[in-house]
Amino acid sequence: MPASSQARIIIFTGSSCPWCNRVKQYLKEKGFRFREVNVERDRDGARELQRRHIMGVPVVLIGSYPIVGFDKAKIDKLLGIKR
Amino acid sequence: MADYDVIIIGGGPAGLTAGLYAARVGLKSLLLERGIFGGQIVNARLVENYPGFPEGISGLELGEFMRRQATKYGLETRTTEVTGVRTGNAYEVSTTEGNIQTESIIIAAGSEYRKLDVAGEERLSGRGVSYCATCDGFFFRDREVAVVGGGDTAITDALELAQHCSKVYIIHRRDQLRATKALREKVFSHPKIELVWNTVVHEIEGDMMLRSLHLRNVKTGQSSNLEVDGVFVAVGLKPNSQVFSQLVTLDEAGFIVTDELMRTSAPGIFAAGDVRHNSFRQVITAAGDGATATSSAFKYLHE
Repeated sequence: MPASSQARIIIFTGSSCPWCNRVKQYLKEKGFRFREVNVERDRDGARELQRRHIMGVPVVLIGSYPIVGFDKAKIDKLLGIKR
Repeated sequence: MADYDVIIIGGGPAGLTAGLYAARVGLKSLLLERGIFGGQIVNARLVENYPGFPEGISGLELGEFMRRQATKYGLETRTTEVTGVRTGNAYEVSTTEGNIQTESIIIAAGSEYRKLDVAGEERLSGRGVSYCATCDGFFFRDREVAVVGGGDTAITDALELAQHCSKVYIIHRRDQLRATKALREKVFSHPKIELVWNTVVHEIEGDMMLRSLHLRNVKTGQSSNLEVDGVFVAVGLKPNSQVFSQLVTLDEAGFIVTDELMRTSAPGIFAAGDVRHNSFRQVITAAGDGATATSSAFKYLHE
């Protein structure tokens, strides 16, 4: 379980994106807190992804490292979730 | 005594229905799911062909209903990944969180999206390469994109993308579509959609973002280049059966072979849903498979 010192997590999502729901549900299940930015509505969020040349959601930004898609293995590794 | 009468592997419609039936007939049953309950249907914005819901129902909601219904009758569930199965007096299922003994197993592990397996695909995933038009379509407003595939999913994706993209190419390796007639007709008459027949993608190019697709015509062998901003891959599904390949017989494509009672080549091991050979890959047939598999497991345990 993450301590209060967990890495900052932002999840970039779209309005009709089942994988976004999956990744949110997964992190909730594992007890992580995160901020959600819907890039379909939030222009700054969209620009943030554009700056990183990303054209897809979900994006899980852990610290400054982005993971595109629900890549469970990568998420587990970066967040230290035991498999 | 084993820990469980039956372990169900996979939490989609097949597994959850198997679990519902198993719990209701009083089997000590455990369902293992590695990701999110509901299976592939959670990706469907609206399921319109599952009877009982005349207005349709969101896949996510239907999956959650199925999970609630099964656990209500005592099905245990655990989020963990199965890494192997060992044969002995009972079966031993190895997971990322330890080993569990069971008398029987129902494999309902489903399938996942097939990739193109071409150069550039992995590297440009999320940078122009997408596997979900519903998710990522809005990134490509007023841009040109391609869809690869010729089935219902590919055509539905193309029609959806054509609502906001300036141009949609459908790249298909055959000279006709597998999609249903209703969908085909919509696509043929759509002013923004262009079909590229007998063609495969053999490389995806771009530095930071996708720039173009290298195409090859499978009839003439001719190569060409197509400049697009996005490519949506919809070339079918691949069964999640690798873990079981030494345990039960698979067909050439990797699907698990069963008889009409969902029995596999190994006694006490059953398979249901998309992971099974010849599955119709519908929610209703997966659920039906799950019920049948439990009935067969019950008979196996009491004979």
